[in-house]
Amino acid sequence: MRIQGEYTFDGPREAVWVLVRDPEVLASCLPGTQSVKKVGENKYSGEIQVRIGPITGVFAGDLFVTNEVPPASCTLTVEGKGKVGFLKGTGNIDMIDLGGNKTLMKFTGEVQIGGKVASVGQRLFDTVSRGMIKQGLDKLNEILQARIAEK
Amino acid sequence: MEKKLIGKRIVRNEDPRLLTGQAQFVDDVEIPGMLHAAFLRSDHAHARLSSLDVSAARRYPGVVAVFTAEDMGEDWSPGPPLVSPPPTVKDVVFHSRRQVPLVKDKVRHAGEAIALVIAESRYIAEDAVEEIELELEPLPAVLDLEKALEAESCLVHEDLESNLAARLFQKKGNYEAARKEAGLVVRRRIVIERGAAAAMENRGIVAHWDAKSQHLTMWDTTQAPIPIRNGTAARLGLSEHQVRVIAPFIGGGFGPKIMMFYPEEMLIPWVAMKLNRPIKWIEDRRENFYATTQERGQVHDVEIALSRDGQILGLKDDFLHDTGAYDPYGLTIPLNTQSHVMGGYDIKNFSSDFKVVFTNKTIVTPVRGAGRPQGIFIIERILDIAAAELGMDRVEIRKRNLIPPQAFPYQHEIIDQAFAPLILDSGNYKVVVDKALEMIGYEAFVKTEQPRLRKEGKYVGIGIAPFIETTGVGPYEGARVTIEASGKVNVATGIGTQGQGHFTSFAQIVAEQLGVKVSDVRIVTGDTAEFHWGTGTFASRGAVVAGNAVHAACTLVRKKVLKLASKVLEAPEGELELDNGLVRVADIPQKSIRLGELAMLANPLRGAVEPGTEPGLESTAYFGPQYGATAFGGHAMILELDPETMMVTIKRYVVAEDCGTVLNPLILEGQIHGGVSMGIGNSYYEKLHFDENGQLLNASFADYLLASSTEMPRVEVAHLETPSSLNELGSKGAGEAGAIPVPALFAQALENALHDRKLEILEMPLSPNRLFELIHAKETQ
Repeated sequence: MRIQGEYTFDGPREAVWVLVRDPEVLASCLPGTQSVKKVGENKYSGEIQVRIGPITGVFAGDLFVTNEVPPASCTLTVEGKGKVGFLKGTGNIDMIDLGGNKTLMKFTGEVQIGGKVASVGQRLFDTVSRGMIKQGLDKLNEILQARIAEK
Repeated sequence: MEKKLIGKRIVRNEDPRLLTGQAQFVDDVEIPGMLHAAFLRSDHAHARLSSLDVSAARRYPGVVAVFTAEDMGEDWSPGPPLVSPPPTVKDVVFHSRRQVPLVKDKVRHAGEAIALVIAESRYIAEDAVEEIELELEPLPAVLDLEKALEAESCLVHEDLESNLAARLFQKKGNYEAARKEAGLVVRRRIVIERGAAAAMENRGIVAHWDAKSQHLTMWDTTQAPIPIRNGTAARLGLSEHQVRVIAPFIGGGFGPKIMMFYPEEMLIPWVAMKLNRPIKWIEDRRENFYATTQERGQVHDVEIALSRDGQILGLKDDFLHDTGAYDPYGLTIPLNTQSHVMGGYDIKNFSSDFKVVFTNKTIVTPVRGAGRPQGIFIIERILDIAAAELGMDRVEIRKRNLIPPQAFPYQHEIIDQAFAPLILDSGNYKVVVDKALEMIGYEAFVKTEQPRLRKEGKYVGIGIAPFIETTGVGPYEGARVTIEASGKVNVATGIGTQGQGHFTSFAQIVAEQLGVKVSDVRIVTGDTAEFHWGTGTFASRGAVVAGNAVHAACTLVRKKVLKLASKVLEAPEGELELDNGLVRVADIPQKSIRLGELAMLANPLRGAVEPGTEPGLESTAYFGPQYGATAFGGHAMILELDPETMMVTIKRYVVAEDCGTVLNPLILEGQIHGGVSMGIGNSYYEKLHFDENGQLLNASFADYLLASSTEMPRVEVAHLETPSSLNELGSKGAGEAGAIPVPALFAQALENALHDRKLEILEMPLSPNRLFELIHAKETQ
């Protein structure tokens, strides 16, 4: 399944980058995230509660960051599984400085899901994942505004 | 002899019980001390088992036991081969790979069972399943039939050289020579995809081992209790007389409940003995989408050679057949396809080479129609395309090629599921097609109605699709008929019933001969304690094979009745008649005896026994046909397509069918209605969607659409009767018939509705969405 989208942050690229690379910030943004922990240089472990239609469950898994070109781009790889199935995905994030204190984030990725989430929740997965990403990025933008205001 | 009851529209004996909830289904079985089973199933379609830790599940409160393949030790072995490849076909390739009770080393389809939890309740069992720690190492999933046969494909069974499960070639005449003579050769690729059988009741098993009586009772939603009894006894090292399999009322079979030896059928009785506790397992709907067999996936390359006036000179159909992860059911389905791809047409030259392919999908076994809908779809599609190329009428090209009545018995020559060259025993095909055309008002519709509606901007289409159905195959069935002292009749047979109305249609056969009321005949099916021999309910054979066994047993009982009554009433047998529960002298009606009294007299007291005396008015008889009887039918429909939404409304649906002697038109029509509904699902709604990793994406009725009452038209049915000469009753099967021609008909009617788009439908099932894509692709071509 393909995930694709873009989002415009109201802040400079460097500031957005710092936030994106902070696991604690990410954990506080992505809905349902129960924990995120840095376990290696570019490796994070965490748990996230997901609700897709009739399916609710906790996925535990790892996130790897590779091909990092701060503050422009990186590749994210996610692998998680839970009682309701599994999830694997790889995606690229590009940050484009739009000038005027605006940063455009472009993301594109491939996600593979299996088990109950796939067989029963598939039809809703696209909508749910888009909703979660949108919510997460909105929250991230809010935090960004707060940080800029602090300075 | 004028028939009094056979052929009459008699309401079903079993319905009051079914409609008031008084019928026993497997899940109704409750036994004190019973435990419940739940399975850990694979989330991956193809993966190596790298670690499995069930210790937390074992410790879970309320869990009694957890079993893995390792725990089964020596008792772990694959299921038995159900059907072997036809020994009579030369150079047949067949690699037998059968399903396993629990995965030992490698998962071969999503949903394959890995571990079994037994607990005090199903809730606890399911919760404990989540405590199992499982590591799977995913492998690329083998899904596409053509890619599966490429050298670089990953292997479903690594001990084989390729994913080829079987290959079989058959021919008659000389296709290549016929092709050279042809005025027109049409070649197409046609793809048919998988659907589910989706019976209302999922599968279920209760096993009860009574250690003190050393006896196992197993309630199973099987279509074939006797093979399950025999196989279970063999697996558990018991005598067949120590095992009783009961197939009680079942909410639909449709093929997948055949004598499979599903993993659960191997495991549940084994666990019941192991733990010395009754065990219940009831499949849930999601499990059913993964763990119950499916059908229909095939890819055909078909070529037809015709003269310019529409005479078929030859047909060539090479195809790939998806068997899923294992092939326990042998070649029944592709053989059915191969023997039905010529339909009811007189085709002198034929060539067909099929390859059966292992994939990482649920096992394929027959689903109502069993390869026949694919065969009929192919021939009907290619005839429609040929007719268009020749500028010929669709009806005309069919009539020109139908087997003429004087050609029966028709030597079809192709070896079918019965492992012998198919012979079409009897029929009058053109009359049936004419009847369907007359019912739908074909001429009037095409000449006046359709042009008028088209002028109004409506997309209306009409179609006609004839089909054959091979039915009533051997080997045999039996029945024991007993007149009891009450005057009522008890009948036991070995087949199972999943809603086909056997309790009524068999009772009519009995009542016809013994002169009793239909409601006074008690029929027992699906209980191995009641009848020891038999095969099962499949291949539209119940009414033909078991029905004729009942008839044969009744003939014997009637002889006994007449012999004894002649003695008692002091009248010659020829002057006696059986009616209204009595035997009487035809001319002197007051000289009579009740059947019940006669039954008592037939159970002799001390001193009354002579050498050779057999007690009771009871007989057992068997019937095995020389070969299967072949039924014929024609369906026609008028549909309207909404060009905005691509939704289809079926305006008229008619069926003309000839399945020989009709036992009960009410039951027959019910079977046909059900079949048509399934066929409509197979045409426009029901398709299993798998992603590129073999994940089934629509494993619920929210996403997998069945044709519901709002999609079902009123189906008008007409019966024509050409009795089969292969059995006394003259019957042919009809259980699968309704489903067989529907996709072919649907495609034809859709194309006709879209006549201005020149669309060619070369796939099934379609959907509103898919039809939109096809039309759009055609427009942008």
